[in-house]
Amino acid sequence: MAAPAIIHVTIFAVYPILRGAGFSLFRMNLMQPWLHRFVGLRNYTDALSDPAIRHSLAVTLMFTASCVAMELALGLCLALLLWTDNRFNRVATILMLVPITVTPIVVGLIFRALLDPSFGLIGYWLTWAHLAPPQGLLGDTHTALMTMMAVDVWEWAPLAALILLAGLKSLPADSLDAAAIDGAGPVAKLGRIILPMMLPSIFLVLVLRVTDVFRTYDIVFAATGGGPGDSTNLLMLDAVKQGLQFFDIGYGSAISILMTLAIAILAGVIILALRGLDRRYNTL
Amino acid sequence: MSRRLSLLAQRTAIVLALGLFLAPVLWLIMTAYEPSRAIQSTPPLLWFKPSFANFASIASNFDLSRLTLSSVVLSAGSTLLSLCFGIPCGYALARTRSRSAVIIAYALLAIRGVPTVVTLIPFYLFMQRLGLLGTWWAVILMNATLSTAFVTWMMFSAFQAVPPEIEAAATLDGCTSFGAFRRVALPLVQTSVIAAALLCMMFAWNDFLNPAFLTRAETRPLSVALLTAFGGNTTSGWGNLGAMAHLSTLPIIAVALLLNRYLVSGLTRGIH
Repeated sequence: MAAPAIIHVTIFAVYPILRGAGFSLFRMNLMQPWLHRFVGLRNYTDALSDPAIRHSLAVTLMFTASCVAMELALGLCLALLLWTDNRFNRVATILMLVPITVTPIVVGLIFRALLDPSFGLIGYWLTWAHLAPPQGLLGDTHTALMTMMAVDVWEWAPLAALILLAGLKSLPADSLDAAAIDGAGPVAKLGRIILPMMLPSIFLVLVLRVTDVFRTYDIVFAATGGGPGDSTNLLMLDAVKQGLQFFDIGYGSAISILMTLAIAILAGVIILALRGLDRRYNTL
Repeated sequence: MSRRLSLLAQRTAIVLALGLFLAPVLWLIMTAYEPSRAIQSTPPLLWFKPSFANFASIASNFDLSRLTLSSVVLSAGSTLLSLCFGIPCGYALARTRSRSAVIIAYALLAIRGVPTVVTLIPFYLFMQRLGLLGTWWAVILMNATLSTAFVTWMMFSAFQAVPPEIEAAATLDGCTSFGAFRRVALPLVQTSVIAAALLCMMFAWNDFLNPAFLTRAETRPLSVALLTAFGGNTTSGWGNLGAMAHLSTLPIIAVALLLNRYLVSGLTRGIH
């Protein structure tokens, strides 16, 4: 019964991935088919030495690290606030689902409009109060990336909160009671009892969000298109631009394969780090 | 007394957070009814006389029924296809004793983690050769593949929680093994099936990158048309965006809030 799914995935996912890996070893531009030839790892060395790609990689790493850290921190605060089970908190948890469900393209466009310095409901007043540069938060190279981070956090902190809340609710009540009897203060209780027991949920948030934020496209494409300048240009925008707009398929594929490797490495590091932490806390 | 104060502080924090999460969406709804003269006022207004001009404008510029039809076909098609592939596969993997089942399940999960661009470029050429480029099939096949991996993974863990003894009992009572799957195991994992279907549907409905490159004018869905409606950040674009979001975004929010139980169970376990 597994066969249909495995065959389907092999034809429509594994085969394209392998072909993509194959393309990345060729100079292959659909606009210049006469130049098509095997170049080995040239596309990879080109990408790694291209200052524009290096810049995008730096932006992507900074974006990923900041967004995931903020989503985890904010998610934890929200989860702790919503922990007690009562009607108010149940309704609040449901309403918190809204940002997750909004079409990502729309999220980008909403904030582009709201932050517009001349007519935007928020942007106008921020610029008026000199809290934002005259071109608006998304129009200035110094603030655009931070603003996009805030937009990503707006959309996805609720997901982190939901996962952590599910983790909190599955904690065994007796170890929490034991901590209360031992007279542990709220901070000690959080640091020594709750967080170590929450490692599986924290792990899920980290892996989900790191792999997803690293390949963010829609919200940034809709809000800034990578600009102003190249201040919000993420790797995913480069890969799409090279491969699907300039039809430089070899180069675009090389960038995408590099992204895949980076995601695999990041996920691997998180898994190893959390395993280490888990061992340290749960064998003591 | 201090207990009450802390409860008050907690609730204020929650209300403030919800305000931040909901306000941009409320603005989006509001701006659909705002005449473009009001949108262009400085300072920006919070109150205006509502009008339906933006709805009239998108209705005359876009073939709305065609766009909605595309969105429905694309999300229903890829959801159905991935459920048909993913549920039996998850079941088979959960019932196999061999270690390779776990490896296959993790491999499918890893495929979900590959950025779409990697597959999108070869997939584009593949569909071109099959003559499917620009048709609904191209997007359905693409999304169904990613979602099949996800559904398989979710159903794999759901079926693992069902003890095989129940099915063995059904087989003894004269059920075929397919009957045991359909009549005994499947009803027990109903919640996971609904959760998986809901997430597949949301993913396909909100997807932008795949349909943007794999469809043409007659087959494109709402998510792609939104960007055209918005235009170059003109104020008339904001009204159009708000109006079109009534078709593209509000339905999915409504469905998600109605089925919130399944959405939460899918998301908190989930991989999407």
